Amino acid sequence: MLTYVLRTLLRMAITLFVIVTLVFFATRLSGNPVDFVLGDGITQEDRQLLIAYYGLDSSIGTQYWRYLVSVFSGEFGLSFLERRPVADIVMERAWPSLKLLLSAVSFTLLVSVPLGILAAIYRTSVIGSVVMVIAFLGYAVPAFIIGILLVLIFAYTLNWLPVVGDGSALHFIMPTLAISGTLVAAITRFTRNAMLDVLSQDYMRTARAKGLPEWLVILKHGLRNASITLLSVIGLQIAGLAAAGSVVVESIFAWPGIGDLLVRSAILRDYPVLQFGVLSVAVAVIVINAVIDISYAYADPRIRLAKG
Amino acid sequence: MTKLLATTALASLLATSAFAAEITVGAANVSSYLDPGRDHSNVGSQFYYNAFDTLIDKNHDTTDTEWKPGLATEWKLIDPATMELKLRQGVKFHNGEDMTADDVVFSLNRMYQADFPPYQIRARDRLENFEKAEKVDDYTVRIYAKRPEPLWETLLNLQQVMIIPEDYTKSLAGDPDKLEHDDYEAFSLKPVGTGPYKVAEFVPGEKVVWERFDDFWGEKAPLDKVTVKHMPETASRITALKTGEADIVTNIAPDQLDLIEKDPDMKAEGSATALFHVMIMNVNHPKLKDARIRQALSLAIDRDTLNEALWGGKAVVPSTHTLKEFGELYQPELTTFEYNPEKAKQLLKEAGYDGFEITYDTAPSYYTNGVLAAQAIMEMWAQVGIKGKVNVQDKWSGNSPEMMTRNWSNPMYFADPFGCFGVMWAPNGPSESEGRFNTDEDYAKSWETFRYSGDVEVRRAAYAELMERIKQDPPVLPLYRPYESWAMKTSVNWAPKPGHIPYVLDFRAGSISFN
Amino acid sequence: MTEVTQNLPPIRRRLARNRARNQTGSFQIPVWSDASWIVRIALLVGLLLVLMALAAPWIAPFDPNAQSLISRLRPPVGFERYKDGFFFGTDELGRDIFSRCIYGLRLTFALALAGSVIGLLIGGTLGLTAGIIGGVFEEGIMGAVDAQIAIPFTLIALLILAVMGSSLNVMILVLGVYGWEQYARIVRAEVKKLLQMPFVEAARAAGAGPMRIALRHILPNVVSPIVVQFTLNFSNIVILESTLSFLGLGVQPPTATLGSMVGTGRDYLPTAPWIVLVPAAVILLLTFAVQILGDWLRDKADVRLRSR
Repeated sequence: MLTYVLRTLLRMAITLFVIVTLVFFATRLSGNPVDFVLGDGITQEDRQLLIAYYGLDSSIGTQYWRYLVSVFSGEFGLSFLERRPVADIVMERAWPSLKLLLSAVSFTLLVSVPLGILAAIYRTSVIGSVVMVIAFLGYAVPAFIIGILLVLIFAYTLNWLPVVGDGSALHFIMPTLAISGTLVAAITRFTRNAMLDVLSQDYMRTARAKGLPEWLVILKHGLRNASITLLSVIGLQIAGLAAAGSVVVESIFAWPGIGDLLVRSAILRDYPVLQFGVLSVAVAVIVINAVIDISYAYADPRIRLAKG
Repeated sequence: MTKLLATTALASLLATSAFAAEITVGAANVSSYLDPGRDHSNVGSQFYYNAFDTLIDKNHDTTDTEWKPGLATEWKLIDPATMELKLRQGVKFHNGEDMTADDVVFSLNRMYQADFPPYQIRARDRLENFEKAEKVDDYTVRIYAKRPEPLWETLLNLQQVMIIPEDYTKSLAGDPDKLEHDDYEAFSLKPVGTGPYKVAEFVPGEKVVWERFDDFWGEKAPLDKVTVKHMPETASRITALKTGEADIVTNIAPDQLDLIEKDPDMKAEGSATALFHVMIMNVNHPKLKDARIRQALSLAIDRDTLNEALWGGKAVVPSTHTLKEFGELYQPELTTFEYNPEKAKQLLKEAGYDGFEITYDTAPSYYTNGVLAAQAIMEMWAQVGIKGKVNVQDKWSGNSPEMMTRNWSNPMYFADPFGCFGVMWAPNGPSESEGRFNTDEDYAKSWETFRYSGDVEVRRAAYAELMERIKQDPPVLPLYRPYESWAMKTSVNWAPKPGHIPYVLDFRAGSISFN
Repeated sequence: MTEVTQNLPPIRRRLARNRARNQTGSFQIPVWSDASWIVRIALLVGLLLVLMALAAPWIAPFDPNAQSLISRLRPPVGFERYKDGFFFGTDELGRDIFSRCIYGLRLTFALALAGSVIGLLIGGTLGLTAGIIGGVFEEGIMGAVDAQIAIPFTLIALLILAVMGSSLNVMILVLGVYGWEQYARIVRAEVKKLLQMPFVEAARAAGAGPMRIALRHILPNVVSPIVVQFTLNFSNIVILESTLSFLGLGVQPPTATLGSMVGTGRDYLPTAPWIVLVPAAVILLLTFAVQILGDWLRDKADVRLRSR
């Protein structure tokens, strides 16, 4: 088990290094912040002046080396646009995003696991079909359509819910629903499929043969075994969301989150913010995945044996 | 009658302070820094007038030029290249410091003798002629120009020369007694000025909070607190008005006006903004070298139809690069461009246009109706046989030799043709330096006369010469003056004032009230 | 059988019925008679959409890019100010929404299909080989998967589109890269699980080489999760494309895709909702049909469900 953990950690470190490097060079290749924000209507001389001021005039190798050195000393630089430490900027944005993520994940689990089980058990009846149709619908509508429709109905027409920012509990309702559409659909459907797989396994028959009540069989043996597949899927989905999955929703609800920040800094080539933002998201996602990997190993004895 | 009015005014004043002294503004964009000196963006210009003052103020209720005392109470020319100003006494900065000649000299020289690159850039295109400011005594300063300056008041009324505190700025970073670049960087996150509102909170890109500054030297601010919040989506901005989360929202596209006007809870205010949406053309692109092709590109554009269709007829289509705000330099009689598809076809034929593709770059969302107009223009080009292609990108392509044509806005940075056309199209200015515009000795001579002559008639004639040059060999031609709108609750009385540069959110005394 | 099932608790009865039904269908190719009503509808809708996409040039009443500035924002048939012949109204430049939808569908379909297939090929191959070969190779692939998962894909898309400019080819590339890591991860996880299964061990003991094991024993068994992932991926790609359009990075105007129509029309939702609602409805039908069909195929392909 220890070697397994160590190996996971080493792989995390390598992954992060690869990401830092890739993002560094990709951003440098993709152009110069001066051409995106500061530079329309200035002379070429002034353009050079700004490029030098922002330290973008040295060779890319030098810049990379300088960046690595400062990263290892814990300095991530100043935003080109806002001229304050990128760590401040990203931290300011991380918490609102995290809150929204937690809200969406809780909502999703509460709704979609029961729905998925229902759909599996009543696979051929109307209940199953209705559940799946709803789940598919959630998947088929882009989050920003759900978002804008919610805004139009509940904020614009009915004036029930606030639409801007993360000020109160009420503010969470619409963004959570908008983000969860896809997530609920995905998890419902995976719960159903995992349950279907499990329900037809031999140990389910054995459990039933032992005379356990049906609900207990489903919960104890069924759900527990289905949770293996479920875990990995939820991991993937959360990772996707923690990343930039919620950009569009953050933008619609003026949510001061990290997705919005990352996209803006990418479009405007604010390298320091972009690099640190991607790095932070990457760390978060990698940690989530490692936790899931380990619990995956814990949940499935076969894998645990194989790794150990 | 006077008494009645006074009572009503008093009553409404009381009502105001009792109910609606706080407002929230939903803005499509919020600045990522706040320093009037380095900024000249359309986003930034929203935020400075409430918190900062210039030495010479202006009557913003009219497009006519009426100078008013600002932080300077009087000013006189010692000679055409030197001005002496008497400063207002008892002016306090938001941090409690008194404003003295030292602060003024510091603020001006940070631009006139800039060594901080963002200031150098701003100073170069409009403050080139200013040599230095000097303190005479605690409340007197002298400003020296390099050569006789015809636009003294105009160039002392600029956003870029708003007054900031010297000691405070120096103390922000590093050595508290020395001036470092980091001081300026720190200032742009914690700006301090002398205006009726202080910046109480600033989250770059997200939020600006103004609070009334009780020690303001002039008439006190009508609002206790103004919160400007970033609300990027049009639909969300409008909705925020309905849910009460905003009292005023910015950047309402003309297509939304109908909706707002039909709603009894909302209304819209707007004006033809003091800027042009223009089409720039790369005169040095190998395929566009022939001026006739560029002329045809413009002749094919039916600007009036664009105006009717996209702006509900509310934009203003001129015939040359001129604005009413230019005062004595307003020259609507010039004709620099027109709509004439037949002539366009003929010129294309003469120039031997063989149907090659002409690209038209545009930013995805920066200009209201920008992408729509671009697509409509492609259709108009097609009518005369030009094969056009829209290229949507965030990158500024104006310095690329491959750029063929693109849209741009040419704002009025100050109320003079020098502050609009002049800044961007000066000899060796930005456009020529970027390699898409050429000037020669004649052009430079006309430009010099236009810029520096003290005689209005001579300046007008010189500007007409420049326009003729632009007409003959066009690197830029205006499309229209766009119409920008703000939407607000019906209870709010606010409108953009005609005397401002574009987009200013003015909440000073007399600019906003409530029913 | 009927008598037996009546004595079982409801859930088990249903399961028994499922098994019975699956048994009768197990020797047939999945066809019409076997499909539920919802699958039949999905089949019809899917077929209709494919036909529409293929026949776009013949059935579109107007040139999708032909503007008419004097008849902008006209509502669909049945509303006031309807313009004759423009059934679903006109957009912000007076173009026919129906025609744009058909052409948009054609392009969206092509993009999503190309993207999904490329992603499947890359990810599936890597996952399968990683799972079977194992060792350093597996570590490497999984490292790449982790790196990929940890960087928000929207950002990667953004960077690619920014560096290379947005054109159709670049779009296909971006959409093709999308999702490879999910295939790889899921396929590898399944392979790991399967390799522990008795029948694989039996095959190995019988002297089957890795190639034979991969093709004969593993591949048929991972079809089910792959099909599910493919359908998720397909609709994800449709949604990703619209998200990129929403962010202003999609296919260049005036070319229509379903996503770009929704993305650019969203400002008009309060004033001219048909601009968004019509293409959104088509997106919905498309992803909905694909998912129902994918789910149905999954049931059909599932070895265990079928054989019982």
